[in-house]
Amino acid sequence: MTPGEPLVRWEWIGSHMDEISFRLWEHFELTTIAIVVGLVIAFALSYIALRLPRLYPPITGVTGMLYTIPSLALFAFLVPYTGFSILTAEIGLVSYTLLILIRNIVGGIRGVPAEVRDAALGMGYTPRQILWRVELPLALAVIFAGIRVATITTIGLVTVTALIGEGGLGYFILFGIQLFFSTPLLVGAVGSVLFAVVVDGALVLVQRSLTPWSRVQ
Amino acid sequence: MPRCHAGAMAERRGATVELREVTKRYGDTVAVDHLSLTAPAGRITVLIGPSGCGKTTSLRMVNRLIEPTSGQILIDGQNILQEDPTALRRRIGYVIQQVGLFPHRTIGQNVATVPVLLGWPDARIRARVDELLSLIGFDPARMRDRYPAQLSGGERQRVGVARAMAAEPPLMLMDEPFGAVDPIVRERLQNEFLQLQRAQGITVIFVTHDIDEAIKLGDRIAIMRTGKLVQFAPPAELLAHPADDFVARFVGSDRGLKRLALLTVGGAELDPPIDPSRLDGAPVLTPAMSLRDALAEMLASETQVGMVRDGANYLGVLTLSHIGKILRADDPK
Repeated sequence: MTPGEPLVRWEWIGSHMDEISFRLWEHFELTTIAIVVGLVIAFALSYIALRLPRLYPPITGVTGMLYTIPSLALFAFLVPYTGFSILTAEIGLVSYTLLILIRNIVGGIRGVPAEVRDAALGMGYTPRQILWRVELPLALAVIFAGIRVATITTIGLVTVTALIGEGGLGYFILFGIQLFFSTPLLVGAVGSVLFAVVVDGALVLVQRSLTPWSRVQ
Repeated sequence: MPRCHAGAMAERRGATVELREVTKRYGDTVAVDHLSLTAPAGRITVLIGPSGCGKTTSLRMVNRLIEPTSGQILIDGQNILQEDPTALRRRIGYVIQQVGLFPHRTIGQNVATVPVLLGWPDARIRARVDELLSLIGFDPARMRDRYPAQLSGGERQRVGVARAMAAEPPLMLMDEPFGAVDPIVRERLQNEFLQLQRAQGITVIFVTHDIDEAIKLGDRIAIMRTGKLVQFAPPAELLAHPADDFVARFVGSDRGLKRLALLTVGGAELDPPIDPSRLDGAPVLTPAMSLRDALAEMLASETQVGMVRDGANYLGVLTLSHIGKILRADDPK
């Protein structure tokens, strides 16, 4: 950074509030789309894995491989096909959510006690009713744990998509690096962390209100 | 404790269950081998035997959690293998050892499970839930909205029984329902359950590996071994005439004592009354007392005999040789 330059120029932040809130909203959108699409795909693949247990290892194998690809390389690889677009960003972001979400959905449902399933079947629940009324509610706590990890990971990764013209708060990080200007860099980095903390807290509240039974002792 | 079979059975709405030559094979293994037996309406039929004898498999074929390889199962004459399994299960109560309450539902919602599946109107469900919670000794207002995690093991087991009875099934299947609680709670749950079952007249098929529980609860006991029925008889007959060495060993070397618990002083032959002054220290027995309790009191006294009295009426004297005669009379060995 330039010598003599203060770490944070508060007046720069004050004069850029509109852009900060716009980028924050963009960050929220990119994250939400990634998690929602990731959940849809993860539920579909989990359903297959639960019905055909033989397919669980290949499913986690492939999504596990996706998870290990460095994000920078993945976006660079996708640009020639899908361009500098939201689609490129989301393909990457969604890919990184799948392993965590699938593991938690399958693990959560497999973790439902066998005697609860046996009682449900023995009392005349259909397999579909068992899934919706017993297994999914009971797996909710584990599934939410996965959603929380996937969401925090995604919020961090969204900043990388600044390189392909998206990025939410990551835009400020890139901007700060290019100009050797610490204020926007900190706005992007600290903003992204604060955003993750707030969203995580909100998810905890949602989970608690959805699983009132887990709070009794 | 002497048993009263007919007394409390006001209304009989239990179903009769008949197994005809029922066989279940898993590959080369035969889990249940040509099992035929009839569980009479309104009675408790106990299936008992060592692990792997096929008792649980037999039970689970009655609500088609397991499909028989061959044979027929009839409930009130209807072949259940031609019925929709889901509809069948909704009219059969089902209780298992680990209870399997839904942890995410309140006690009230758990009890309401089958009525909700059957689409009962809300008001009827609410009334039935409160009725059942009262029947198992709960205060509905206090317990209805609690979650299973807030209950003790014994309380959960009671809720499991209430849930199985909710839609007034004519038949209940119970797989070691009291196996996971401590002996004191188990005894209380057994007594409560007997009362409930007698009052409601439900047919029960009950799996256990505990011979004392079988003798206490069973109107009829089916002893199984390697998938086959070895003996099917009322408890007293089982204890008096075990079909073979396996049954004799299974019911225990103290089967004589167990049988005495099922017989009363009133049914025993007595010596004519002797002047009480000559029987100083002899215990006073009543006709309703079990012979086992009478024996215990007689052995503890100096005289080794007991005076049998029915109120002011002095009926006679019970001696050890009378009890020995009863045991020998029925025993083939």
